[in-house]
Amino acid sequence: MFKQFTEHIDGNQVYLIFSLFIFLVFFIVVIFLLLRLRKQHVDYMSDIPLNDCTDPNSNILKS
Amino acid sequence: MQPEKFFYDNKIVRNFGIATVLWGIIGMLVGLIVAIQLYHPAMNMGNQYTTYGRIRPLHTNAVIFAFVGNAIFMGIYYSLQRLMKARMFSDLLSKIHFWGWQLIILSAVITLPMGFTTSHEYAELEWPIDILITIVWVVFGINMFGTIIKRRERHIYVAVWFYIATFVTIAVLHIVNSIEIPVTFFKSYMVFAGVQDALVQWWYGHNAVAFFLTTPYLGMMYYFLPKMANRPIYSYKLSILHFWALIFIYIWAGPHHLLYTTLPGWAQSLGVVFSIMLIAPSWGGMINGLLTLRGAWDKVRDDVTLKFMVVGLTAYGLATFEGPMLSLKQVNAIGHFTDWIIAHVHVGALGWNGFLTFAILYWLIPRIYKTELYSKKMASFHFWIGTLGILFYAIPMYWAGFTEGLMWKQFTPEGMLKYPNFLETTLRVIPMYVMRSIGGAMYLTGVIVMAYNLYKTAVQGKLVANEAAEALPLEKLSHSESTERWHRRLERKPVLFMMAALVVILIGTFIELMPTLTISSNIPTIASVKPYTPLELQGRDLYIREGCSNCHSQTIRPFRSETERYGEYSKAGEFVYDHPFLWGSKRTGPDLQREGGKYGNSWQFNHLMDPRLMSPGSIMPEYGWLIHQKLDTTTTAAKIRAMQKLGVPYPAGYDKIANQDLDKQAKGITDNLAKDHIKVKNNREIVAIIAYLQRLGTDIKANKTANN
Repeated sequence: MFKQFTEHIDGNQVYLIFSLFIFLVFFIVVIFLLLRLRKQHVDYMSDIPLNDCTDPNSNILKS
Repeated sequence: MQPEKFFYDNKIVRNFGIATVLWGIIGMLVGLIVAIQLYHPAMNMGNQYTTYGRIRPLHTNAVIFAFVGNAIFMGIYYSLQRLMKARMFSDLLSKIHFWGWQLIILSAVITLPMGFTTSHEYAELEWPIDILITIVWVVFGINMFGTIIKRRERHIYVAVWFYIATFVTIAVLHIVNSIEIPVTFFKSYMVFAGVQDALVQWWYGHNAVAFFLTTPYLGMMYYFLPKMANRPIYSYKLSILHFWALIFIYIWAGPHHLLYTTLPGWAQSLGVVFSIMLIAPSWGGMINGLLTLRGAWDKVRDDVTLKFMVVGLTAYGLATFEGPMLSLKQVNAIGHFTDWIIAHVHVGALGWNGFLTFAILYWLIPRIYKTELYSKKMASFHFWIGTLGILFYAIPMYWAGFTEGLMWKQFTPEGMLKYPNFLETTLRVIPMYVMRSIGGAMYLTGVIVMAYNLYKTAVQGKLVANEAAEALPLEKLSHSESTERWHRRLERKPVLFMMAALVVILIGTFIELMPTLTISSNIPTIASVKPYTPLELQGRDLYIREGCSNCHSQTIRPFRSETERYGEYSKAGEFVYDHPFLWGSKRTGPDLQREGGKYGNSWQFNHLMDPRLMSPGSIMPEYGWLIHQKLDTTTTAAKIRAMQKLGVPYPAGYDKIANQDLDKQAKGITDNLAKDHIKVKNNREIVAIIAYLQRLGTDIKANKTANN
């Protein structure tokens, strides 16, 4: 299936290979950063939306 | 350290919410009208301001920028304040943003039916409105970054990364795709021409889907879904990977809209490969969303917001699987230009954007009004009629798409086209068009019921315009924290984060756009291709004004089924004076690239006056006003000068004498029409549009004759 792409890029394979190579490097860097994240930090980040600091006891001041 | 008291601004959220619902109803109603026009031409209402070509862009702009746009701002203004533990940076900027955005939409509602359009899909608005969009977008950016900077939460949650990426990428897309030379106050020419213009447009078009219809909604999903399910997102690590991979890959995928066109082959291949890769991050997001509901599926049965979320995410998964499949050349060869694409985008728009918006509205409005939803039954009715509406819309459109794609390519055993008359294929899908409009009407009914339900909810509660909250102010970082790990550090530096996102999207942009925009050998010129005559240029602008490219493509793919039907396949060099390109993306009518000389002037005249006279059963609108309206030749000189600035080789000083040539050519056409007993004045618009139609594709034909 991919044969047609490689056959029809007329000596411009360099664009394709270079682009995929950039993505590969980028992807590996992101994976590396992910593996270095601490669980404590990950849990903290996941909980941020659930803690929006609205004060249930305070009155509505203006409306 | 003492906690600080502050107030969230709910009024701006409410305002964007109202705008979302109102524009949603209007945009979908216009959608319903254009859907009916496709099988009942009388619905064009016999006047130019309500014809399909002019109001179809109104529908797309209204649902994308008015309905979805306002929903994005509603979601961002609600979630950003809470994620940053801070009120919006400036109430004044919030107001300017809100009213500025409504002004842009209102300008679109007025200018698009009047025919003021650039013809670039989803970027039709003319240059003064483009400038207004830029200003309002910058106001939004300042307000968002101001809020992030004055935050009380050190780390920036993944939802906000999506908002930042949306802001910066839309800014880049809008500016690059709006580089145009103004001719008059509401007319401009795109700086790029032909293939280059097509590449820029579809780089924009595809990424408008990515960064306006997708990334802000993913951001909202990452905030609202955990809130609705009352549990954290399934995998925060997956969200990081998903975010970076998605924004990196999406920006490359645009050329899949231009497969088999004259775009250089390597750019097409690049678009295809990255489109296929796109499945991974897209499904990463969908899976992350759906798995957030692990252990909470029982809630889905009772909670209408979660029902909308689940169907919305499923629609996202379907559309993002189908998109890469459609970008495969073999599939694209059948699907492109057909109603399959309409089905595809509506699964995304109605399912993903629509249902997520409804879920957020049902969740958010009762909360900011401190009350319960007025009627759960009505919301449940909305969910079911909306879901059925999507099915009734999408299934007939898929059917229509396959029918068209296959009929256009069908040959007899003798090697002749089985359906040489394009109209035959159109008539075959009319029942599907009828069913589609029923699906659309069902979906719209649901939205109207929602509007009533939300109105009653608001009436029974009271808006908490300023919602009290308190949080500790940010402390200065200790030394150990300032040496923390890289991504964690990035999560608290918004400007650095924005720059990182900008670099990521610019990599693909540069590699993909620059060679085509700068290396002239990518677009081989053809000696016989000459600039348009002044009359043809005016006619071309009328073709743009009437939105003909909404239904007629001007690019013939190198398939035998197309060369048999339309003539010689397109060459890049044919479009070098086309500012803007007019290739179109849908064939509701036949391709027109080789229209020139196919029929006589009188056929074109009669066909424009009443298409059903020449093609019984045709669904094309009538263009009677072209016969009565006088062609505005006062703009000819300015148009020629603008084209000269763009490098179109008109002789020096030609602008001064262009109207003489225009009159001469017009007289030739009217004299020819007179032979067929058609009396029309030289200075009527129809003469110009006939001149343009008769020119289409003839440069290559002339070349062939010369070579012979």
